[in-house]
Amino acid sequence: MSNLRQAIWVEALKARRSHLPVISAIVFAFLPVVGGLFMIIIRDPELARRVGLISAKAQITVGTADWPGYFQFLSLAVAVGGVFLFGIITSWVFGREYSDRTLKDILALPTPRTAIVCAKLTIIAVWSAALVAILLIVSFLVGRAVSLPPAPGELLLAGMVRVTGSALMTIALVTVVAFVASAGRGYLAPFGIILLVVILAQILSVTGWGEYFPWAVPGLYSQGEAIGFTSYLIVILTSLAGLGAVIAWWELADQGY
Amino acid sequence: MSDFAIETHQLVKRFGDVTAVDGLSLRVARGEIYAFLGLNGAGKTTTIRMLLGMIKPNAGEAHLLGTRIRTGEIKMWDAVGYLVETPHAYPELTVRENLEAMRRLRPGTDPKSVARAIELMGLSAYADRRAGTLSHGNAQRLGLAKALLHGPELLLLDEPANGLDPAGIVEIRQLLLDLVQNQGVTVFMSSHILGEVSRLAQRVGIIHQGHLIKELDVDELERDHHRKLVIDTRKNDDARAVLSAAGYRVDPGFDGCLELADAAAVEEPDEIAVRLLEAGCPPLKLHIEVEDLEDYFLRLIGTDLEVAQ
Repeated sequence: MSNLRQAIWVEALKARRSHLPVISAIVFAFLPVVGGLFMIIIRDPELARRVGLISAKAQITVGTADWPGYFQFLSLAVAVGGVFLFGIITSWVFGREYSDRTLKDILALPTPRTAIVCAKLTIIAVWSAALVAILLIVSFLVGRAVSLPPAPGELLLAGMVRVTGSALMTIALVTVVAFVASAGRGYLAPFGIILLVVILAQILSVTGWGEYFPWAVPGLYSQGEAIGFTSYLIVILTSLAGLGAVIAWWELADQGY
Repeated sequence: MSDFAIETHQLVKRFGDVTAVDGLSLRVARGEIYAFLGLNGAGKTTTIRMLLGMIKPNAGEAHLLGTRIRTGEIKMWDAVGYLVETPHAYPELTVRENLEAMRRLRPGTDPKSVARAIELMGLSAYADRRAGTLSHGNAQRLGLAKALLHGPELLLLDEPANGLDPAGIVEIRQLLLDLVQNQGVTVFMSSHILGEVSRLAQRVGIIHQGHLIKELDVDELERDHHRKLVIDTRKNDDARAVLSAAGYRVDPGFDGCLELADAAAVEEPDEIAVRLLEAGCPPLKLHIEVEDLEDYFLRLIGTDLEVAQ
């Protein structure tokens, strides 16, 4: 695509110069630390009794203090936390052009608007993937630090695949947030949508309809629920619909900002 | 190749019930400075946004440098630089980085153009400062630097003098004149700073409530201005009687002065002076006052409103 490489360079520069990459890395690195804390609590019933509510929550979230249990927790954390964090990153990457009123500078250029949208989505994907990589690295460090019982390599690999798969599905859905940030011209609308889909995902998962709601699918997958091809297809189609919508918005809608 | 850098035909833009631009047709020749004059909300920025393909007209069409503006058409943007409304930049990027980002989004632009634009716009001292910390005037300079970065054939500038101090206004005026005279650049600028327009533009289009109510060149603009002879004497009542008796129409002016708008009076003020002297009312003050652009503009708008009513 015409000048996509340069557009990616520009988006990377904007991301590098902001504080958000560091903040998001700290938030994501915090998830394995929380998981590690739960592991300690589960392993030590006396401590669990003393901390009360936290221990109760830990029992629900992480069943066993071992690597499979730890990865199951992380996978769910990525599925739910990712909707928030990847969504916030997407809201910033797209919404800032409206909030900072810089959009008008990138609309009448020899670089097609579609290339700019694709560059933004590429940066979001790379950024989010880097966060998952950080999460996995910190997970191994924390897992060793809290002395989780050794597990075979296949089990560790399966855990990593589950975390990565959960993250990939969550990342794929940010196209919808990108569209809402563009059509809503800023941060507020996408933040509202992120909150809404997280709540809906919880409700629909509990009521048994989660496999048909794209934002609930990564959570179900993370817990090893049996989800079929239809669920994956729904995630893919939702992602493509978001992509089409955001490109169409940038190309066709009146940009009065 | 079209002779015109900009051509619009019956452009219409509506926002709900409001018609922001109504049947706008204009032509801007290559290598001229065309000023688009109007009050706030007259439709200037909406027109510029339509010319830049940011918003789509409800009717009509526009061509830039011979290419019709339509969705997905990006060929002409290589040759167009623009500044729309208040300039904004990525606040956490430095001035240099903002320009470098813009350069990369304009493929084929010389890497040295960033340094050149910084120097040209007098931003050298601020080159490595974050754009978010710039004063309004320097932010305006950065906006202009972005517009000029790639050496465009056509500049679309929305209120280019906004936020600049008097020295900055003169500097930008000289810069634009130099671009037009020595590099054949076409400038289409909107403004409500009337004095600026009269010093810079070759042609002026006056827009009011979405209508182009008058289009004229600067010579016509000069000719179209009302002139009047302003007189003050120690005995203005007597002077009025003398001049009225001589067939002049005398109006009361500011501060008790007399005003004569007749062409005969304006063209031969010496004749008036002699008459007053002979009548024993020697003039203390006698000068020709030219209607300023503000008055001219308001008179035109007033006429337009009366016609509309």
